[in-house]
Amino acid sequence: MMLQHIAWIVLFAPLAAAALIALATRRDDRLSAQISIAASAVAFAGSLILFLAFDRFELAWSWLNVGPLKVDLGFKFDALSGLMLLVVTGVGTAIHVYSFGYMQGDRSFARFFASMSLFMFSMLGIVVSNNLAQMFVFWELVGVSSYLLIGFWYERPAAADASKKAFIANRVGDFGFLLGILMVWGLLGTVRFDELEARLRTDPGAMGAAATVAGLLLFCGAVGKSAQFPLHVWLPDAMEGPTPVSALIHAATMVAAGVFMLCRVFFLLNVPDSSALPVIAWIGGGTGLLAALIAVQQDDIKRILAYSTLSQLGMMVMAVGLGGPGPAMYHLVTHAFFKALLFLGAGSVIHAMHHEQDIWKMGRLSQRLPVTCKTFLIGALALCGVPPFSGFYSKDAILAQGFEHNTWLFLLAVFTAWLTTFYMSRLVIVAFFGGPKSSGAEEAHESPGIMTSPLIFLAVPSVVAGIAGIPGRLSTQFGAAAEGAHGPAGFAALFEPFSHSPLPAFLGLLVFMLGVAAACSFYWGAKEDPLPSKLGWFARAMKDRFYFDEIYSALVRLTQETIATAAAWFDRWILSGLMVRGAHGTTELVGRALRLAQTGNLQTYALLLAFGVAWMLFYALVAR
Amino acid sequence: MSVSYLFLEIAVVLSGLGLLLVDLWTPAEHKRGLGYMAAGAAALILAFSFSKIVDPGVSVAAFGGSFTQDALALFFKRFFLLAAVLILLMEVEFSDRITAGITEYYALTLFALAGMMVAASVNDFALLFVSLELMAVTFYVLTSFQRTRLGSLEAGVKYLILGAVSSAILVYGIALIYGSAGTMNFTKIADKAELLKESKIAVFGFLLVLVGLGFKVAVVPMQIWAPDVYQGAPTPTSAFLAVGSKAAGFALLLRVLHGAAPELLLSWERLLMILSGLTILYGSLCAIPQRNLKRLLGYSSIANAGYLFLGISAGTVAGVSAILYYLAGYLFAVVAAFFVICIVSKANDSEDISEFAGLSKHSPFLASVLALSMVSLAGVPPMAGFFGKFLLLKSAAEQAVSYPGYYVLLGVAIIGVVISLYYYFEVVRAIYWSPGSQDRRVIILSKPAKLALWTCAAGMVLVGVFPNLVARATDAAAAALKF
Repeated sequence: MMLQHIAWIVLFAPLAAAALIALATRRDDRLSAQISIAASAVAFAGSLILFLAFDRFELAWSWLNVGPLKVDLGFKFDALSGLMLLVVTGVGTAIHVYSFGYMQGDRSFARFFASMSLFMFSMLGIVVSNNLAQMFVFWELVGVSSYLLIGFWYERPAAADASKKAFIANRVGDFGFLLGILMVWGLLGTVRFDELEARLRTDPGAMGAAATVAGLLLFCGAVGKSAQFPLHVWLPDAMEGPTPVSALIHAATMVAAGVFMLCRVFFLLNVPDSSALPVIAWIGGGTGLLAALIAVQQDDIKRILAYSTLSQLGMMVMAVGLGGPGPAMYHLVTHAFFKALLFLGAGSVIHAMHHEQDIWKMGRLSQRLPVTCKTFLIGALALCGVPPFSGFYSKDAILAQGFEHNTWLFLLAVFTAWLTTFYMSRLVIVAFFGGPKSSGAEEAHESPGIMTSPLIFLAVPSVVAGIAGIPGRLSTQFGAAAEGAHGPAGFAALFEPFSHSPLPAFLGLLVFMLGVAAACSFYWGAKEDPLPSKLGWFARAMKDRFYFDEIYSALVRLTQETIATAAAWFDRWILSGLMVRGAHGTTELVGRALRLAQTGNLQTYALLLAFGVAWMLFYALVAR
Repeated sequence: MSVSYLFLEIAVVLSGLGLLLVDLWTPAEHKRGLGYMAAGAAALILAFSFSKIVDPGVSVAAFGGSFTQDALALFFKRFFLLAAVLILLMEVEFSDRITAGITEYYALTLFALAGMMVAASVNDFALLFVSLELMAVTFYVLTSFQRTRLGSLEAGVKYLILGAVSSAILVYGIALIYGSAGTMNFTKIADKAELLKESKIAVFGFLLVLVGLGFKVAVVPMQIWAPDVYQGAPTPTSAFLAVGSKAAGFALLLRVLHGAAPELLLSWERLLMILSGLTILYGSLCAIPQRNLKRLLGYSSIANAGYLFLGISAGTVAGVSAILYYLAGYLFAVVAAFFVICIVSKANDSEDISEFAGLSKHSPFLASVLALSMVSLAGVPPMAGFFGKFLLLKSAAEQAVSYPGYYVLLGVAIIGVVISLYYYFEVVRAIYWSPGSQDRRVIILSKPAKLALWTCAAGMVLVGVFPNLVARATDAAAAALKF
């Protein structure tokens, strides 16, 4: 089939764009941006064609063949990767277009687009990987390209630090991921997903007792990329990057990679011997709650969204841990749309406010920025889970999953959902309604069409993705059992949650209303945040992100200082002193001494030659 | 027909003679260009060596069994021809420093080449001596060819006297072997190996032959001449000594040890190992304090002889194949180094390493070729030198299973490699990181020089990057010997 080979175009168009911009068109800002946007759009179009034409196929090109290790550069297309391709390229294209407006006038305009394209390529590589080794390569590429994007304004110390932090936190997780891959390879003898799956289907106990360890090590990769506790600290700091980057990396793609990976290797986690899934579920749920609590007391519009992202990712990870990759992926898809929309909306606000990000300096933006406000509201409603917005359906799928498998986690998720509504309502009320809280808010102007049109473009799926039949498509991947709820598409899907599992659905609605009511009572017309005076130290701890950064930096400093001092001593005295200088001095001395034999005197030479020959003869004939 | 196997050598000698004739009708100012003719002739003969007429495809004994034409012989002949082409191009660059008789210089190079080519096919002690002396005598002349330069003459005299001593020892050894075996032919001697092994006279004779050949390849304790001669000789001659003469010595060693005395090879294993280790250490250690690049390369060539001896002492197909592989990479690296020295030292006749300081600034191409050569000689992947050393060490390591003494030798070899990194990179450092004097002219390269340098650079890289291609040829060549 020739049509399948579109796959390679989808994968490599962004790479080609990145290379072209970096090598040739760097000086021409406009052209560079156009190339990058075009590449993204081509990838999107290709993905759409593949999505419509195929259910599943796999292309592979043998890349590495060392002994028993065979690694392909593969393109695995199925329900999971097909959906993810659409999300990544679709949201990616919208963000590319948006960036064209948002980044206007930046000194390194072309570099920005080159990095964006490189990132797209890396992300697509993860999505289409047909084996763990390829996934790891692209996994690292995503790490690198996100490093470039977060630290895009590298001349700002905060951005440089944030990019470093993101990269290092990711590396910590990736190390575990790599160990996990090696372990899986060692236990099962292959890194290809289809072979692994076949192997485990015939012999579910093939990994034995090591299954838990291997599963948790693989999960480490997701902990890093999807910013789960305890590696969650990098994501909020990464908001130092340009806002389109936040939307692309920290809403729709990079952080989703962890969840995507968990869904991809779900068959490895879901084996009888493994008890990795409960751990995953609790870490996910815990992260969700923790991040939601922190979000309640943040003032920076992007940080609120960042913690919200953390919280939602926690929910997805929890869903995977509860045996439901279907709901997790479902929520991932809808979340990608509305969170990207929210970030881009926030970017539009920030643009209008001349880079002011504090929501307490905004107010009444609903009148100054009508389009931004409307689309932002759509996103917020979707995030809070109001029918018929998409978020309601996917979140309900997760709640239903929890309801069926683990009551405590279900309650935790419901509470998190309430917090979500609360902090989003707080954000919307403070920033968009009430009186203007600064002169900037009074003079704000709506962003240009190139920025608002992506908002509208993303608002559409944020509304309708819930009834587009995504769960049906996913159930071909995981089977109806693991998929959980929600089969049909269209009008029937609209009320499906209420008939399928009414309690979670109604609870979800209830906490939404409670959340809005609570937020309204606290924040409607408020000039400053009333919570700190009410909650005291707890509000302070929420605002200070429960002191994770401080604890980590103290820990790191302590261990690092100790190790560094020891290493310095070892290097100075043992390595440099004894070994390097010692060996160097001896060698040099011997060399100089031997050189004395080479006098240049012919008679001496002849004598030495004769002695040498005599010794040889003696050794060979007599001494032996 | 026997004579057809000698076509290559005949062609080389005729080219040399023809060159001398043409010289008579060539005006003095054009004589320099005759070197291109010589190089062209050698290149043609190199191309011809691939034809069916000279390459029988199987091992053939000709001229009453004294001459062998097999894969090994042809490998070496092509090696020498390629070396000669490059060296002749170098000699043209060098010609303005030869006051008189440049055509003779070219012709003598061709005669030395003929000697080497015969050496590759030797299967008889008489022919061995003839080919060796053809090489040796021409090299005495070539070494002292810069008659107005004291250093060149001194080197020539030293080489002549020490070479004569070693030739005398060699002849003495041959006489003893003939006395106890009653024949000069390798094959016939090998048939009597069981008997000869018991005879101390014959073993004594073989040891003396080893001394004579060891002198050619500059292995301890017969290495003493190399640094002085390499330094004093005209640069192209040093290069030809380092590549051609050394490789010819190894060809003869392989022929004698595997053709005439395969039994002795086993009992000499330890002696050969000790020689190998000592040579590596001596060459590497002495190279450290050197400031003259040609002298440094002289010591480096001693160390390299030591590495090649690893393969000799291993005495396996893998060992011989590794020797051939190593020589292939060594050819390009050494010729490249001497070529750059030849060009750079043109201006002020000094080969001190400080002359090369800042070379990268005004002649980046020459700098990168010299650096590549040093890196390859140091054995850094992916250059040819790395794979050569790797194969040699591997062949020795394979023997370590049966004889643990090889572990010591391997340790010594690795120490030698580490030391060599130091002095080779000293040169690289001078090229790239030392501030050079400002008043340098830009060096303009002639087209043939550029071609030769590109060939060397490509050779160093390709032999290292595509080891399979070369290894296939060396394996086939090595298989022609008896083990």
